[in-house]
Amino acid sequence: MTRWPSPRRLLALGMTLVPVLTAVLGPALAGLPHAPPGGPYAPSGPHHLLGTDGLGRDVLTTTLQGGRSILLLTLTATLLAYLLGGLAGLAAATGANRLVEQLLLRPLDVVVAIPALLLVSVAAVWLRGEASAMALVIAFAYAPRIARIVHAAALDAAGRGAVEAMRQQRESWACIHLGYIGRAALRPVVADLDTRIVGVLYLVASANFLGLGFGPGSPDWAVTIARNESGLLLQPWSVLAPATMIALLVVGVNLLGDDVLHRPRTARVGAPR
Amino acid sequence: MCARLGWAVGQLSCLALLVFLGTAALSGDAAVTLLGDGYDPGQAARLRARLQLDDPVWTRFGRWLADLCRGDLGRSLVGGEPVGTVIAHAAAPTLVLAGATLLVVVPLAGTLGFAAGVREGSALDRVLTTVTVALYAVPDFVVALLVVALVSVRLRLLPPTALGADGATLLTRPELLVLPVLVLCCQSTSSLSRQVRAGALDALGTGYVAQAVRLGLPRWRVLLRHVAPNAVAPAVQSTARVISSLVGGVLVVEVVFAVPGLASELISAVAARDVPTVQGITLVLGAAVLLVNLAADLVVARVVPRARERA
Repeated sequence: MTRWPSPRRLLALGMTLVPVLTAVLGPALAGLPHAPPGGPYAPSGPHHLLGTDGLGRDVLTTTLQGGRSILLLTLTATLLAYLLGGLAGLAAATGANRLVEQLLLRPLDVVVAIPALLLVSVAAVWLRGEASAMALVIAFAYAPRIARIVHAAALDAAGRGAVEAMRQQRESWACIHLGYIGRAALRPVVADLDTRIVGVLYLVASANFLGLGFGPGSPDWAVTIARNESGLLLQPWSVLAPATMIALLVVGVNLLGDDVLHRPRTARVGAPR
Repeated sequence: MCARLGWAVGQLSCLALLVFLGTAALSGDAAVTLLGDGYDPGQAARLRARLQLDDPVWTRFGRWLADLCRGDLGRSLVGGEPVGTVIAHAAAPTLVLAGATLLVVVPLAGTLGFAAGVREGSALDRVLTTVTVALYAVPDFVVALLVVALVSVRLRLLPPTALGADGATLLTRPELLVLPVLVLCCQSTSSLSRQVRAGALDALGTGYVAQAVRLGLPRWRVLLRHVAPNAVAPAVQSTARVISSLVGGVLVVEVVFAVPGLASELISAVAARDVPTVQGITLVLGAAVLLVNLAADLVVARVVPRARERA
């Protein structure tokens, strides 16, 4: 007998899937009903289902094209952050030297304390518009938070008798650290995966909205929202379509994470990003 | 205490290093980038000499740090004004905005969170949870745009921008502040009230509260004398964190509502690649956040005996 997922999970899944599918399939569908460019902020009509934006581009087309950047950037930055933070946390927890541990962790505290958007704006002075550089900077801003959790979880695992036994058996570094300690620390580290993804998503969107990310011609959802802000009343869809997508994505991931990762409904809302 | 203060100095130096490396060292050839395509080599050389870009990074960092310690943040590459003056002008609207938000958020979130925590599972608690989850999740620039569209453009109730207002104007014309503060409150109230609620729940579950109830103390007395003070400690630290996330929110809100504060200044400086201004503003904002965290730690150390040893 198959159990149907709860309505709550279905809702969360649906909310997440709409923007994700738009982002994945959108670019392929975008050009299909070929729309001739119209005047700026033209209302919706037969050629332009959702009207046009300030540059006369079809809103539906740009919305279909604009999800890929935010999704790819978020996923890359999150992965990188986990990689960097995980390695730093493991190294700090299992290093033989207390000094090394302090030297690794203390500076990270500074990065945690400073709002991530400030770090992005510092980097944006020179590295604006390069997706790879943005992913690196965002990963750098988020890695310390992950390093702290990994450190705490790995410290617990590293103190177990099994690790002592493996050392005496002369197991390899990778076997002990990645195979045993890393695996033992995985559960607490994954527990707040959703908070991290939402945080990164938020950061990517805010940076792009503020013009710290992709150039003004990009179809990225946040960039188009910023561009068409002045046309909000003339042609609401030019702002509402991408804004709905971002809102659905963030709320959906939030709900889904809450539902899948935290069975007893612990409210994880207050956790700092 | 002394260790905490020493650590704060260490944090500030780390911040300075981070800001300098982020803006100056990554720059490649700043002069070429500043002049744009089709620059004249002689002009680039002159600019490079003026900005002293030919020295090695560490020499430049040393010079910058020495200037910084004397309070000299350099001059803006765009207007030629001293960065200190730019910051002094722009700080007032930002401070007014952040201060007004805190004045609303702290009592509001405290009351709501405490009321929800004390009656866990009640209708109030459930409604609050749902609303805070929704408000916390939607990006603040989306909230801000919707609020502008609805309140100031459709209903024409409040002005959509605070263009050209300085700190004093913001204070004398509170209607300019309503919408920006409203947007900033959405997020911070959500996050802070959750923390207060959790603190109240923790305090309610302790042995001394159970003992007080057992002794027959009236409920209001238990709540005010025993639960509330112990829910304060985590709330102070959460408030510090709310202030640092407020900096991110202010960045967005100032831009949407065209408040001429530090954040607007920072964003336009980033766009113009005005390195000294970016360095100055990020330093000031970052240092403010670090100092708020320091203050929160010291307050908590005073309130909670357990934390005193750790601080």
